Amino acid sequence: MILNDIEIMFGGQAGDGSLTTGDLIAGIFKKLGLEVYTYKDFPSRIRGGHTNYVIRAGEHANYGMADLVDALIAFDLEAVEAHIEELRPGGFIIFDSTTETVPESMRRRDVTWYDVPLAKIAKEDLGLELVRNTISLGVLAKLIGMDRATVRDAVAGVYERKGEKVVGLNIRAVEAGGEYVERHFGEWPSGYGLQARPDGDRLLMMGNDAIAYGALVAGCRFMAGYPITPATDVLEWMAKYLPKYGGVAVQAEDELAAINMVLGAAFAGVRSMTATSGPGQALMTEAIGLAGVLEIPVVVIECARTGPSTGMPTKTEQSNLNHLIFSGHGEIPRVVLAPGTVEDSFYISAKAFDIAEKYQCPVFVLTEQALCQSKATLPLLDVASVSVDRGKLVTEPVTFGEYERFEFTEDGVSPRIIPGIEGGMHLAAGSEHSPQGVITENAANRTAMMDKRMRKLVSMREDLPKAIVHGDPAAEIAIFGYGSNRGPIVEAIDRLERGGVSVRFFEFRTLWPFPEEEVAAFAAEAQHIFVVENDFTGQLERLIRYVTGPLERMHLVNKYNGKPFRPIEIIEPIERLALLRGPESVDGGSPDGEPVRVKRQ
Amino acid sequence: MSALLTPKDFATATPSWWCPGCGDYGVLSALKQALAELGKVPKDVAFVSGIGCSGKISGYLHSYAFHGVHGRALPVATAVKLANRDLTVIAAGGDGDGYAIGAGHFLHTVRRNPNITYVVMDNQTYGLTKGQSSPTSATGYVTGTSPGGNPDAPINGLAVALAAGGSFLARGFSAHPKKLVDLIKTAIEHEGFSIVEVMSPCVTYNKINTYAWFKEHTYYVDDAGGYDPADRSHAFDALLAEGKIPLGVIYRDGRPTLESLMHLPEQPLASLDLEGSKHQFESLQATYR
Repeated sequence: MILNDIEIMFGGQAGDGSLTTGDLIAGIFKKLGLEVYTYKDFPSRIRGGHTNYVIRAGEHANYGMADLVDALIAFDLEAVEAHIEELRPGGFIIFDSTTETVPESMRRRDVTWYDVPLAKIAKEDLGLELVRNTISLGVLAKLIGMDRATVRDAVAGVYERKGEKVVGLNIRAVEAGGEYVERHFGEWPSGYGLQARPDGDRLLMMGNDAIAYGALVAGCRFMAGYPITPATDVLEWMAKYLPKYGGVAVQAEDELAAINMVLGAAFAGVRSMTATSGPGQALMTEAIGLAGVLEIPVVVIECARTGPSTGMPTKTEQSNLNHLIFSGHGEIPRVVLAPGTVEDSFYISAKAFDIAEKYQCPVFVLTEQALCQSKATLPLLDVASVSVDRGKLVTEPVTFGEYERFEFTEDGVSPRIIPGIEGGMHLAAGSEHSPQGVITENAANRTAMMDKRMRKLVSMREDLPKAIVHGDPAAEIAIFGYGSNRGPIVEAIDRLERGGVSVRFFEFRTLWPFPEEEVAAFAAEAQHIFVVENDFTGQLERLIRYVTGPLERMHLVNKYNGKPFRPIEIIEPIERLALLRGPESVDGGSPDGEPVRVKRQ
Repeated sequence: MSALLTPKDFATATPSWWCPGCGDYGVLSALKQALAELGKVPKDVAFVSGIGCSGKISGYLHSYAFHGVHGRALPVATAVKLANRDLTVIAAGGDGDGYAIGAGHFLHTVRRNPNITYVVMDNQTYGLTKGQSSPTSATGYVTGTSPGGNPDAPINGLAVALAAGGSFLARGFSAHPKKLVDLIKTAIEHEGFSIVEVMSPCVTYNKINTYAWFKEHTYYVDDAGGYDPADRSHAFDALLAEGKIPLGVIYRDGRPTLESLMHLPEQPLASLDLEGSKHQFESLQATYR
């Protein structure tokens, strides 16, 4: 049975190599020409605690997780216990039987069990227990009939940098896994197989890497950050690459320092950014307001995780949307952008710098754990297409006394000069100020200055990334969503379409200023509207309702258990509420055992 | 051209909001004098201040000035320097801004040792909020928020900085203009993070630490001779001794700067050509194939 779609899960203890093996097989599937999406589900600790790594591979680009898992590689019994119910009937389990035994009561009959003493083979035949991960890969590859030479080449490629000895050991390990299958289970026993295709010009990249790469290409030369999951990858990437291009990455003492450093560097004329998550974002709030009133361009990458407070630091959520849009005392113009794929993460991140500098305000790039720490295949990135538009940056001397840093202009944007240029000396004050920058509490000036700053929200409209409309534009069923939910929503639409049901999907890429006209137009003719988001209160749904008013047939499809949507969790409420079929219960079941809340307005 | 500049060239047209007799006037005029004597020009000076009476100083010094949020002047100033190392970067703020809300940044800026100067205007009270106790107020100091007397011990900012690896520590008195100018000039010329704490009396709210009080309770470390500011234990002894407050250059060393340890290029980041380097980034994609 050759499939064009498979979902594989590696489960074990944090630190035991499940994540490395997952990365390895993701790379191999990519070499086989498949489209790949990975999802890391790990605990907030370094050693121990159940962890798993999901790889979705097939011919569909940028889907997310599947409904169910096809193959589970369980390095311990806990992995079986945790995920046995997520397996698709007809799927299979590779279980490391070295020290543990799966009780008969736990052995589902509708899946195939391959008990393999992975650790024992690693230790006794190869002399190193660590390579049991690579052996498991050999077992899996054999079970799904993968080409032996391709797998060997991929393993060699991954370990190349560690030297010949390590490459040799891992190749022997992958072969040992395959041989074990042949001896005990026969040739290609699972019948599962994947149709390989030419790899072509493609990349396999993590969302955070794409964001950092986009920033570098867009001319970001200063980053300050404070380590926080799931945003730390961005600082690590920039710390590695920025110095090679004349830039600087600083690990600050806290997020307060990080954002104020970004303001300082941007004030001095450098494209600058930080990356953080909810708790750090909360600390940055005051300085974001300062950036707004000083009209300094800053880019803030928000890699969202569950909140409030510490929440679940390694799990995904979209509950920081309100924070990005509304946080802070006073009112400033600000922009919130959200990429829906790893590929778009590159372009949105790059675009953020142009918007920030053209409109001299803070720009947030909002992503979440299920996208920013996930890897996906993508076409080559068009580096040449990235523009660097520095807007009204003044680089020539001006006449002191005539030049006004905060000049009243029609588009709200004033000429921005940087230290070192003759004639432009001024005070940039967080206190309200005159066009020259002099602190004043004059009422007429205050009104005019607020109007000027807020006008930028209107003048920037044409520059903001447009929403993408997926599916049949005339469909009566409409979905709103953004970010990591793009994958499962697009898959849900494709599957419903195959069943004869047309659905369209408005994928936000700009969340603030809110695209009111586009949202109103998209909602106007819809018979049913579904808003899909990872939060409790329906933050996106409320923004939409500001525009549309209360609608009889608007349904919130939300989830806040730290896990990303699976497509069935979007299909099911559509079938039940719009197509009036399927179970009558209000709570639809989901594969991870949590109810999906669906409410009618 | 720079030789022609005088302190007046560093003045702004903005009238001061400080009370008559405030110690901060002395700090401001010493700064202007020091910059003029060093041949600096306003366009190449970045001046970052915090919040409070002292924070208003950035409005009165003709330069590229930045008046940010409370306690965060040092991260801003550090980054301005990293962004453009050709600038003379000075941060200024009060004892509350630097040793209370901004204490974390103070400590970590000392550790980093960027080539910037920090002027702490210490009046031992919160002036702009009308006289509450500050991190340098004496224990027992009675204020609106400490009616039973301030229960906290005062912080010794320079001793803390010395322990954290400070590379230049000086203390001045705003009523000694000539000496203060010299201290600020030496600080600006120091390669590294130079701290100048200035005793800057609040004439409105602090009726204890007055001009007369400081005259009686301070001395210059080089008065007696034999003081070696390169000797760290001397510096500790001077800073921690009971009795009179030491003034002058208390400690200095040649520890490497942040810029040198980060291998910052000579060319300011702010003047990099962003478009020209774009083709170099294509090759990074190979890592992800």
